[in-house]
Amino acid sequence: MVNLLKLKKAHLKKFLNKLKNEHKLYVPVKTDLVRFEEYKGDIYLKENSYFPIKEFFFKKEETLFDYNKNKISVPEKESEKRIFFGVRRCDLNAIKHQDMIFIEKFNDPYYKKERENSILIGYHCNTAPSEFCFCGSMDLKDCQDLMFFDKGSYFLVEISSKKGSSLIKKHKEFFKNTDKKITTKKIPNTDILHTKDISNLYNNPDWKKASSMCLSCSACTALCPTCYCHSIHDEGNVHNLNKGKRKRTWSSCQLKEFTKVAGGHVFREKREDRFKHRIYHQLEYFKERYGVNLCTGCGRCISGCPTRINWLKLVNEMKK
Amino acid sequence: MNKLLPKPSKVIDFQRETFDNFTITLDAKMKHEPGQFVQVSLLGFGEAPISIASHSDKYIKLNIHEVGNVTNALAKLKKGDKVFIKGPYGKGYPMKKLKGNDIIIIGGGCGVAPLKGVIDYIGQNRSNYNNVMLFLGFRTPDDILFNKELKKWRKDYHVNVSVDKDPKKTCYDFNVGFITEMLEKTDLNNNNKVVFLCGPPIMINKVIEILKNKGFNDNQMFVSNERLMFCGIGMCCHCMIRGKLTCLDGPVFRYDEINKYEND
Repeated sequence: MVNLLKLKKAHLKKFLNKLKNEHKLYVPVKTDLVRFEEYKGDIYLKENSYFPIKEFFFKKEETLFDYNKNKISVPEKESEKRIFFGVRRCDLNAIKHQDMIFIEKFNDPYYKKERENSILIGYHCNTAPSEFCFCGSMDLKDCQDLMFFDKGSYFLVEISSKKGSSLIKKHKEFFKNTDKKITTKKIPNTDILHTKDISNLYNNPDWKKASSMCLSCSACTALCPTCYCHSIHDEGNVHNLNKGKRKRTWSSCQLKEFTKVAGGHVFREKREDRFKHRIYHQLEYFKERYGVNLCTGCGRCISGCPTRINWLKLVNEMKK
Repeated sequence: MNKLLPKPSKVIDFQRETFDNFTITLDAKMKHEPGQFVQVSLLGFGEAPISIASHSDKYIKLNIHEVGNVTNALAKLKKGDKVFIKGPYGKGYPMKKLKGNDIIIIGGGCGVAPLKGVIDYIGQNRSNYNNVMLFLGFRTPDDILFNKELKKWRKDYHVNVSVDKDPKKTCYDFNVGFITEMLEKTDLNNNNKVVFLCGPPIMINKVIEILKNKGFNDNQMFVSNERLMFCGIGMCCHCMIRGKLTCLDGPVFRYDEINKYEND
């Protein structure tokens, strides 16, 4: 199987238009922020999207079932054919980590339905799109169906999965063979988290420097492509209280309510402990259970933090 | 299989224990270990994790303290009503591994509920365990749970019940004072003994301190932890104690597994 092809940049829009006619196609678009939206002719690849594509699969709000008196029924959901073009390596790995949780471990039918029939086309960063990118420190893997490498006037397109290969076959008129090679997948200047093992740093007093700036606003977890903590609540129908929905919604370990039990006791009361919990879940706890870092180094938790808490710098400078 | 869908279960008995505590019996047939829990839900109110306070494969008893939205709503149940349950979940007290030991059971308030499951289990497997001692603490004589069962337990085991306060001066056969004072006074050594603990965090911490002073090791103490949880299967992450998931790795932990974790 040929696994590397060439696509002229001038042909990109034609290719995307063709895809759009067959599937729902989402691409990064610059509006107020860069975000993934349905393709309407514009595409923006200079920065990574402000919001990761997590919300297309692990929904901010998911109805687990409807209830009517004592009967429960799971709402039927169509599995749409969707293509996401222009997803960065960090976010592709993040989706893989979410797959490990929701599909491989728990076989969650709601998430699975959203992931089925979706094709992920990556766009490889030539340079780090943000000063806070640290994917180079996170041992990322190839998790895409196709990967586009930007080479100026053309793209090198790497075929990474069967799904990707059949998509290319269907649209082979756009692609040419090439004898070029991908020499490196490392993105320069992104290996900036030098202390990767934080297991002995839990009691380091420097964590206070970060948590004293933390507002517990939970922007970091809302923007994180991997955070998967959630709550489950019943939402009654105000016109008929016998009816309603049980819903799963995103939640955040940075909020006090996250560990608040009935009666009012909060187990993770201190902001410092909540701050540390996020970092340790990303770099240590998840790895103990799933074998990989949960974090993929996109840097959104720093760039999106209202007080710009640079925990990378903090951890790097901690005395061991 | 969709792990997030609960199954209906019928209430076959409702027993009020105190003014804010009750026990319901559900017709759910499930194999479970003492110390495991189920997620009980009333549609429209939500779900709450409740430990199983019985040991039978024909029914489960749930002792519930009225303290939040779901539990307040559960308090209005009547015989024949339906609730929804998921489970059993978690790791209970490792009863089989602890055969041949003396067992000391220390519970405070509604923390006695999962321990009642243990006591029922011991009753059915009495010959597997040596001496059984119970230390049960409640706020006032009006808050004492399982009064009916206590009479039987007093015949079979060495039972110490204490109440923190006795405002109405109605207390004849209980000790007045914290359970920790009673424990401190009791002559105990750690020979072939294991301790099962469940109760408010402040009581647990104090009890552990006392037991350590009496020579008990961390691996002789088993603590049942309370945490906020939603999924019960390790997905929602609310119940994490550092890297451990209370719903999967607990709720019962051998104390040496979690003894370093103070603020979680």
